Amino acid sequence: MSSFRDMLRAIRDYDNLTKTSEIARRYFVMNAFDGVLTIIGVLMGNLVAGVDDPQIVISTGMATCIAMGISGLWGAYLTEAAERKRDLDQLSRHTLTDLHDTRIGRAARVATVIVALVDGLSPFLAASVVLLPFFALGSFPAITWVYYTSLGMALLTLFGLGLFLGYISRGNLILYGVKTVVAGAIAIAISFLLGG
Amino acid sequence: MGKLRRVVLDTLKPHEPSIIEMASELSELEGITAVNISIYEIDRKVENAKITIEGEDISYHHVMEVIEEMGGVIHSVDEVVAGKKIIDDADTLQD
Repeated sequence: MSSFRDMLRAIRDYDNLTKTSEIARRYFVMNAFDGVLTIIGVLMGNLVAGVDDPQIVISTGMATCIAMGISGLWGAYLTEAAERKRDLDQLSRHTLTDLHDTRIGRAARVATVIVALVDGLSPFLAASVVLLPFFALGSFPAITWVYYTSLGMALLTLFGLGLFLGYISRGNLILYGVKTVVAGAIAIAISFLLGG
Repeated sequence: MGKLRRVVLDTLKPHEPSIIEMASELSELEGITAVNISIYEIDRKVENAKITIEGEDISYHHVMEVIEEMGGVIHSVDEVVAGKKIIDDADTLQD
């Protein structure tokens, strides 16, 4: 029990030092938003091309999700590690000591891993949620319905992200929700127009 | 060996962890009854802190470990009191 409390305290200390939760929150929304819009692109591409084999949609969709996940994980890890190393080196020069093996150094390393995980998992999960209807194909009368349900889920996910942003900013939840949904609606509309 | 009862340190530390966390952590060490930290100079990335520690049996080694673990550096040991009770420096004619 005491070790669990110690662990929570360490996490809180690390968070205070590195502001991880704030950065992770930003990455989460930004990348989940990216993930949903990308998967909208994949869905619309398949829809306007007349793909009626759900397996193809699932394969292309999941491949996109995995690529986005790896891209987020890798990119964020390398960027975050480089930035934090630079900050720590600068701070070490000020104190004239090596801070890499102190609490500050450990907190920076933990923050890098957490931020990378959030950055990788958020687009992957958000995009996977949108693809869910294709796994329950039997419940739909036609493949077109699955596409529309998936697109509906994409807009719903975007609305959810908007609500989250509204909650963080303590602003108008619905307004934020509408703002994020509009981005998805524009992506769908343009794809429709381009696809003829 | 006599027990350390008061130690006054001149340190340099990053802004984070804050002196609140540092004081709280130092005060949890065994043999320490009170900690006072005051900032007397602030730079862009670091700050100079005067740390005064009193207790029944202060372990300087553990104090140093906590300060260094939190990214701080001890510049100098400015005052030490050891023995059965705490005494202040005596006034002399020169004072």
